[in-house]
Amino acid sequence: MAYKPQYYPGSTSVAKNRRKFMSDDVEKMRDISDEDLTALLGHRAPGSDYPSTHPPLSEIGEPACPVREVVEPTPGAAAGDRMRYVQFADSMYNGPAVPYWRSYHAAINFRGVDPGTLSGRQVNEMRERDMEEYAKRQSETEITDWGLAGMRGCTVHGHSLRLQEDGVMFDMLDRRRLEGGVIVSDKDQVGVPIDRKVNLGKPMSEAEAAKRTTIYRVDNVAFRSDKEVIEHVQRVWELRTKYGFVPKA
Amino acid sequence: MVKTASVTGKPIQIKIFPQRLLQPETAERLLNEIDHVNGVIRMLIGGKNLPRKVTCGPGTGTDVNHPNMEIIHVGDCAFELHVMVGEVIVELEDESTKEELRNACERTLPFSFEFKQGFFIKKKATLTDYGKYGFKSKTDESINLEDERILGLMDPHAKPENSLCVINPEEEK
Repeated sequence: MAYKPQYYPGSTSVAKNRRKFMSDDVEKMRDISDEDLTALLGHRAPGSDYPSTHPPLSEIGEPACPVREVVEPTPGAAAGDRMRYVQFADSMYNGPAVPYWRSYHAAINFRGVDPGTLSGRQVNEMRERDMEEYAKRQSETEITDWGLAGMRGCTVHGHSLRLQEDGVMFDMLDRRRLEGGVIVSDKDQVGVPIDRKVNLGKPMSEAEAAKRTTIYRVDNVAFRSDKEVIEHVQRVWELRTKYGFVPKA
Repeated sequence: MVKTASVTGKPIQIKIFPQRLLQPETAERLLNEIDHVNGVIRMLIGGKNLPRKVTCGPGTGTDVNHPNMEIIHVGDCAFELHVMVGEVIVELEDESTKEELRNACERTLPFSFEFKQGFFIKKKATLTDYGKYGFKSKTDESINLEDERILGLMDPHAKPENSLCVINPEEEK
């Protein structure tokens, strides 16, 4: 029988969503064109070539190495792309993703990732074209609700703040806002205006966000209500603690 | 009205903490309703900063032009919001108008809010205030301020013209 990964324990909707995120079994919610995404990321002009930091690997002539023979380089690495980042901030008010689950999604389903997971934001560094593929996947699917999340390279403030009256997460730099029932963005992730208004689709309703979220909250799905998760977390904690006392065991 | 923060009687302070961050229109309505409540000595607006320019990252120096940075009118005073209003602290002359204030909030805010009584704005001068304003004279060691109500309302380094407004000063005479 083929191996089937068991990503995360639990029977609550939050646990199920966490499994979905980790296995990349996520629903596509909207379309964002490549050019729009490139403009939002702000690393290069839309339509321009990928600047490179070294010649393509095929031209370099790599040394004989069994590991290099086994591991096929990602398209970005093969082409010599620059390392570039994308950073998301998600609201703790039932934002669909929590930083760790963006990182798990990246680390399990993509190669050449360097996720940095912080309390209210998640940054990921990759080769530029690989990063764009990853950012597109997260931006277009249920992992991101643009009302409760934002692509923020700097000034990420918002994760733990109360929502605005219109239900949108606060953004100090006004990179995206609710206009006519949809979220639009006219700035890149560091707050520099871009030459277009990118339509990021309708934000989720409160009920839908509560259904799709991966954050445990007492006012939605409480962490303590999922016995299997508690058991799992306690077991991990116990083993880590014991290992800490007996490093050679 | 007495021009000291600690007026005779027992002033109380109330913090109004809405469930959501307020849009400028709602903030304007709320502040005007509070202004109509009897016995309001002072109000302090708090919230999330709205910068004029991007202050960090590769876009440093770029204009933000936040749409919520609007000019609002409270009483006979107009001022520009520098924050997205998240809380309002109100000082009342005494307990008698507390319920009137609560009703004003209920009329204006379309969602729930916390209504807490406590000590939020200082009532007498501290060392920092003496450092900024000094004594009245060599013989009078009270703080060199005409109106002590501004104590605790703004940062010691802030300029009053940017962060303070006096509503209906004529009524006080």
